[in-house]
Amino acid sequence: MPSRRRTLLKVIILGDSGVGKTSLMNQYVNKKFSNQYKATIGADFLTKEVQFEDRLFTLQIWDTAGQERFQSLGVAFYRGADCCVLVYDVNSMKSFDNLNNWREEFLIQASPSDPENFPFVVIGNKIDIDGGNSRVVSEKKARAWCASKGNIPYFETSAKEGINVEEAFQCIAKNALKSGEEEELYLPDTIDVGNSSQPRATGCEC
Amino acid sequence: MKSVFSAPGDYVHFKSQVPLHKIPIGTKQWRYYDFGPKAVPPLICLPGTAGTADVYYKQIMSLSMKGYRVISVDIPRVWNNTEWIQAFEKFLDAIDVHHIHLYGTSLGGFLAQLFAQHRPRRVRSLVLSNTFLETRSFSAAIPWAPIVSWTPSFLLKRYVLTGIRDGHHEPFIADSVDFVVSQVETLSREDLASRLSLTTDDASVGPLLLSDSFMTIMDTNDYCAIPQQLKDQLGERYPEARRAYLKTGGDFPFLSRPDEVNLHLQLHLRRVGVEARPDLVHNIPKGDLGGSPSKESNEDDFDKSHEDDRGGSENSPAKYEINPTPESSGSSNLDKQPLDSSECCHLDHELALYALPGGFTRRKNIVPPGTSVHFVWEYIAIFHLLHHISSLYIIQNYSSEFRQVV
Repeated sequence: MPSRRRTLLKVIILGDSGVGKTSLMNQYVNKKFSNQYKATIGADFLTKEVQFEDRLFTLQIWDTAGQERFQSLGVAFYRGADCCVLVYDVNSMKSFDNLNNWREEFLIQASPSDPENFPFVVIGNKIDIDGGNSRVVSEKKARAWCASKGNIPYFETSAKEGINVEEAFQCIAKNALKSGEEEELYLPDTIDVGNSSQPRATGCEC
Repeated sequence: MKSVFSAPGDYVHFKSQVPLHKIPIGTKQWRYYDFGPKAVPPLICLPGTAGTADVYYKQIMSLSMKGYRVISVDIPRVWNNTEWIQAFEKFLDAIDVHHIHLYGTSLGGFLAQLFAQHRPRRVRSLVLSNTFLETRSFSAAIPWAPIVSWTPSFLLKRYVLTGIRDGHHEPFIADSVDFVVSQVETLSREDLASRLSLTTDDASVGPLLLSDSFMTIMDTNDYCAIPQQLKDQLGERYPEARRAYLKTGGDFPFLSRPDEVNLHLQLHLRRVGVEARPDLVHNIPKGDLGGSPSKESNEDDFDKSHEDDRGGSENSPAKYEINPTPESSGSSNLDKQPLDSSECCHLDHELALYALPGGFTRRKNIVPPGTSVHFVWEYIAIFHLLHHISSLYIIQNYSSEFRQVV
């Protein structure tokens, strides 16, 4: 069914600089990893077609620069988000401590209609480093924080080795879809059926 | 200027800051805005059937502040695709712009692709929004296409306006529709007819030399007037193009979702290597439009050659006290001439009507117009009276003859 429009799901990745947000996105979308660190300027996005229960969706994944708070991007960047991914580096306590700030920041900027139930997903990245020996944030601690914030799903990944990335994003897509579907119900064009008597000129483009 | 129906505040501000240019190039009249540092390769916005250069005012304001140069044009009165390509090329030559980035919505996106196909050296990148690859389905949908250039204005307007989705909209989309409708009201019959001719002139976009990686497709995902199959067809043609879809926004996301559109445009320009020059932005309010010194001499020549047509508009940018509608100052110059000549015309006409001898017309300036008219009326009254009397005499004669026959 080529002419059917696909649901667009918008996902936003937040977290401190250098935790591997861009790498996670690249690993998921392009199956690529680069050891070279290049700071993201402002923001950027990638899209991926995903299939779920026989339906195709377009996942639009927004990657942000961790350095700044992106005030300049403003609301446009956050608007219409269906899921927010909070990323930290399991080898950096500070990046974990900041998760709370990123979560608050998102809720303020995006101001979702139902902040209590807005889908977040937390990712602890870089589990491959040093064979896990330099790890400072325990899985238990991370899971406890997630539980305290309304049972946020939690994943531990390695963007470099591609460990658990696919699984994490499948969960992200599923949660985004759930919130995206709910939102869709309120779209004016889905309740516009009574208006079908009105002539709709398909010939004109404006 | 035709009044804009309840013009939004930021539009009024835009009109007070950004001069409108109107210049004839070749046989075509071009109406456009050009704002932001001249040193930056421009992003040129091409509107759809119902659009004018003004519909992109939110992009012009926002991106020029960030150090980009944005040009937006009215599609000129061209009647087929070849004419479009030639006219647009002449326009670019005239404004001294060589490499361009095009942002085309709807019909504008189609024209952008055609230009990229036929002038591959000039087009560095494309942003295509709610647009299509071929016009076949439109020409099929408008059976009266062959007579479009003869169709009265109100029918063309009605046709264009019915293409805009009616009904309940969220406020920002409703405002965007209002704005576009008010712009359609400013379009002449010829403008509309030429645009509909362009959409029904059977044509399709051939293969582009431009790589997909220099393209962004920015469709709205809620609805738009372009059928989904046509948008899908375009997406399939450029599989590697960047998909910058917007969840919502309707037909005119540049008005209803300006911050998202501007963000995507910015990301696109950055990706294709256009560097903004925010350092030159502060020059803008000085009335120079931030022109680079190296190009200034060229610009001056150009301005001089078109001085008459542009009128005062060139001087008005961004000086806060200067009149809020820059193009009105441009047209006032033009208006003056026709006014003088129409006065002459009127007098000549009046005198010619009464078939006065040539010598008398030359004296018209000395004799106050009132007197001459009075004199003429007397002359005519007497003439008619005599004529009337004689015709009465003739009728009487004829009728007596008629009675004799019976």
